[in-house]
Amino acid sequence: MKNLFLVLLILIGINAAYSQSKNPDEILKRVTETFEMIKDYEVDVLINVNVKFLKMPDRKAKIFYKQPDKIFVESEGFALLPKQGLNFSPLTFLQTAHTALIDRVEELNRINTTVIKVIPIGNKSDIILSTLWIDESRNLIMKIESSTKPDGSIVIEFQYSKIDDNFYLPSTIVFTFDVDKVYFPTGITGEMNSESEKKDKKNDIAKQGKVTITYSNYKVNQGLSDELFKKESPN
Amino acid sequence: MILTLIRIELLKIFRKWRTYIGFIAIGILVPVIHTAMYYEGQESLDFMTRNLQQSFVFVGNLLNGYFISYIILNALTIHIPFLITLVAGDLLAGEATAGTYRILLTRPVSRFQVVSSKFLTGIIYTNLLVLWLAVMSLGVGLLLFGIGELIVIRSDTIIILDKSDVIWRFMLAYGFATLGMSVVCSLAFLFSSLVENAIGPIISTMAVIIVFIIISALDIDVFKSIQPYLFVNYILNWREFFNDPLDFPRIVESVSILLAHLVLFFGTAVYIFKKKDILS
Repeated sequence: MKNLFLVLLILIGINAAYSQSKNPDEILKRVTETFEMIKDYEVDVLINVNVKFLKMPDRKAKIFYKQPDKIFVESEGFALLPKQGLNFSPLTFLQTAHTALIDRVEELNRINTTVIKVIPIGNKSDIILSTLWIDESRNLIMKIESSTKPDGSIVIEFQYSKIDDNFYLPSTIVFTFDVDKVYFPTGITGEMNSESEKKDKKNDIAKQGKVTITYSNYKVNQGLSDELFKKESPN
Repeated sequence: MILTLIRIELLKIFRKWRTYIGFIAIGILVPVIHTAMYYEGQESLDFMTRNLQQSFVFVGNLLNGYFISYIILNALTIHIPFLITLVAGDLLAGEATAGTYRILLTRPVSRFQVVSSKFLTGIIYTNLLVLWLAVMSLGVGLLLFGIGELIVIRSDTIIILDKSDVIWRFMLAYGFATLGMSVVCSLAFLFSSLVENAIGPIISTMAVIIVFIIISALDIDVFKSIQPYLFVNYILNWREFFNDPLDFPRIVESVSILLAHLVLFFGTAVYIFKKKDILS
């Protein structure tokens, strides 16, 4: 028992020492610098929406991005994209004043990650607290967990692939977020609720939604024109 | 022989002004809705989806011909029965009012053939009215607003159907709506066989539909036990064709119940007409 306690104490000590030896701002800076290499990109996406109260087929779209936060989504048909995190970029995310501290080291999907907590300073940001899982070997964010004032919590999980043997860009992003309790006014449709709808209405509606975006055919640093982003933006 | 009788009956009903009221009403109302939706449809759509827009960014446009047609079908399937009764309620009682029953029945045709031809004429009129609604709402709607994904908003679910997955649903929904309206036609026809004046069947059918709709809409326990027996509850089940996945048992049940009502009302009308003492 004494030995076990000693081993535990040593492990905690090593972990604490390891955490102390790292500078969270340095790690975040390296992540930002890696992302800064990507000036712009266009990519085909496949969007899968999995929300209990929403039934829709998978949609295809094209996303255009340009530094620091310009984004344009082009879709042949109608598509839904998660509001939170759609235009996520470490550049804008880490631009606001914040305090960062290393929380722990954790293995995430067989990748060793450093978990950093980021607390925005001041009242400007909607984010209360973010936790970032960072793969230091590639300087990539593998997962973000954010609590926001208006929209509850959101978890964004990333998987990357290497593009042009040079850049790591997401191949899949999974957004898990809170969805407000829904009430849909049907007055305009003149609908009377059917028997099954009346029954269902009494049930609680799941509050979590999940959107999976699969990225393919990246075209990086092609020099996208600013004009493109002046078109009607999804935001 | 029956085809000749139907042709004659069609000529008779289309010589009457009241036959065109339904077509004119739809011909005016649908473009008015189109115009309103053209100017304010987006605001309405934004209002309907405001909860969803808190969590999602919308890319593309949901205001299209399919959406407008869905709204029109929703709004009008409750009111079209009133237009149908104007003609169906007059089919038999109109002869009594005009005093032409006896002349009609002195022809070398059976009473069954007479009553069947009149009933089928009513069904043809009903079909034409729903077809007119389809042409005006879907045809003109698609010309004005184009095609796109259809958003179906229910009290607890939002279904977004791909544009390639919509037209067959509309065809089946219009087909189902025709069946529902045919039941209304057969009810008015039944009432028409009972009386000598066309006003009675028209008012009675409207009254029955209004009472049934109110009972169906009220969420009160006493009414809940009655609701499954009211045919108006099933008339609006054309909406099931816009469900994903389709609820086949519910659709089959609705079609069966509506068909049973149709046969019951028509059968009763035939029985009453065959036994009827013709005095005018």
